[in-house]
Amino acid sequence: MIKFGPGNLRIPRFEKPVYVVAGGLTDFRKKHPEKNTSQLCTEALRMAVEENDLKVDPEQFRRMVNWVVYSQFADHFGDQLLAAAKIHDYLGFDPLGNIEVKTGGATGGSAVLAAAQAVASGYADCVPVVGWERMDEVTTKVGNSYIASAACKDFESELGWMYAAYYALMAQRYQYENNVPHETLARIAVKNRLYAYYSPFSQNPGKYTVEDVLKNEIVAHPLTFLECCVMSVGAAVLIVADEETAHKLTDKPVQLKAICGGSHTLRTADRRHMPILLLPNETEATYKDYFGKHRQDWPGFSSFLAARMAAYLAYHMAGIKDPVEDLDLLETHDAFTISDVQTYEDIGLRPYGRGREFIDSGEAYFEGKLPTNLSGGLIGTMHAVGATGIFQMVELLWQLQGKYDKFHGDPKMWTRYGKQKPADWKSLQAKNPKRGCAISHAGTGSHVTCAILEKP
Amino acid sequence: MDWPTTALEVFSEEPLVVKNPKTWYHIHSYGGWGKFFQGLQQQKLLAARCTNPKCKEKRLWLPPRADCPDCWHAMEWVEAPQVGTIYTHSVVTYPGELFKLPPGTPLISVEIDGVCTKLMSWLKEGKPKFGMKIKAVFNAKRPTHTILDLAWVPA
Ligand SMILES: [Zn+2]
Repeated sequence: MIKFGPGNLRIPRFEKPVYVVAGGLTDFRKKHPEKNTSQLCTEALRMAVEENDLKVDPEQFRRMVNWVVYSQFADHFGDQLLAAAKIHDYLGFDPLGNIEVKTGGATGGSAVLAAAQAVASGYADCVPVVGWERMDEVTTKVGNSYIASAACKDFESELGWMYAAYYALMAQRYQYENNVPHETLARIAVKNRLYAYYSPFSQNPGKYTVEDVLKNEIVAHPLTFLECCVMSVGAAVLIVADEETAHKLTDKPVQLKAICGGSHTLRTADRRHMPILLLPNETEATYKDYFGKHRQDWPGFSSFLAARMAAYLAYHMAGIKDPVEDLDLLETHDAFTISDVQTYEDIGLRPYGRGREFIDSGEAYFEGKLPTNLSGGLIGTMHAVGATGIFQMVELLWQLQGKYDKFHGDPKMWTRYGKQKPADWKSLQAKNPKRGCAISHAGTGSHVTCAILEKP
Repeated sequence: MDWPTTALEVFSEEPLVVKNPKTWYHIHSYGGWGKFFQGLQQQKLLAARCTNPKCKEKRLWLPPRADCPDCWHAMEWVEAPQVGTIYTHSVVTYPGELFKLPPGTPLISVEIDGVCTKLMSWLKEGKPKFGMKIKAVFNAKRPTHTILDLAWVPA
């Protein structure tokens, strides 16, 4: 049982406001042999510095940087320890100080958190966050066993050598407790692959039907291939700055109102029952009928305590009272369809047990109440792990700046990556969004960060 | 001096892609958890219990821990019941490279009375169902010295 002490749930505070000003991406592919990792990172940095309407030229920008944060999930994949030192040199930031952050699938979110901490404390005022993953040096099967070595190698990795298997165990329990129709889950995969269809950066876009997803081959029961995230190569860069620097760099800075992290046991086995940690939009009454024949414990295998913790802290820090009402955009870590539904509940879009309503109601769609993963997410667009959490915030930044079309709709963006803009391309620019939220997530919920970006 | 004789295999010429071989092993110690794996060979399911009388968690930990995460006190070994129920189950169709179980093996998480955790394991016989009563079986003959030496069958 976890019992919180008075210090454990202290709401984090930034001593100085933190802003995000620019973002850059590569396209994401299964294999990228034409470019080595430092080239991919340079490409993403170049886009951030040269294509985000900054008010300074690249040379001036370089002279403003005073700290750099790097984000890579697994040294196994790149087969280069201290890769960040090499990337840092190739990016031309030598001999500035830098740090590399590692928290599994949430590495990108944690890297932005580290940059925000540096800026908020006054340690730095202009911090590029550079993330990447190179997952094409090994076969998919070996790649899956590498990822599974981020489960407990002594007691759990052997049971599948495959993260989808560990999620499947949670998914099956979630289904036992909540019985969500597979059609609802399939709709998440269909939605995110469709949104990926409008993105030149995407790896696995497509116009699929619910039928396609249901009939698709199973990876680990009940998850089908189309319900699982992609394995990608690519990079992402986000520039974080203090208020003064942000205004020197851009006319459209976006404030990072909050970014907070939570954690939970690496092994799902060790998740002991505890009282539900309530979000601002919940009360004890919300859960008076929650426990019963099929639901005996919380967080159990159906909920991610790390996501609940991160949302709890971030919502309090940013003054979010009701996420569906107060947020205009959401990027979730949709590694699997069912973990996405679990996350809807953890971050309070619906009470526990009712996450499916967020999809069924249409709120999660473009022009819905809280459009979710307009980027195409991890299922449709990318999961180059170290880049993922950064990619989410880059896409949110562009949405909040009204630049979705600039980066997704320009035919030149498509030809740059050897693609052709679809004739039926459609803009997913949200109408004057004010606030966005990004959830970065590791393991079976070992680390989660929740970021709130807000247009001043 | 002569040139080295071991050459990398060329995977593609344009762009130049080579194969880097990996053939070594890791010497991995289970440390304070070793007794658990040795116990499996004696048909024992060894769990850990906190020895601190003031500690609130009176139940057993399985996977075992050397030190209590609630109070940092040392743990002692206690035999856990060898019967439990299935908390959840799945079958992985496309496992990762190092998977050693036969295709189609049901993976399970097990709830055991008096144990505060839900051990991940596998079902050696039968069809898994939620809440199904199961008992532990042990691979003592040709042990793998991994967690796979423990499995479950219908009770
Ligand atoms: Zn204790």
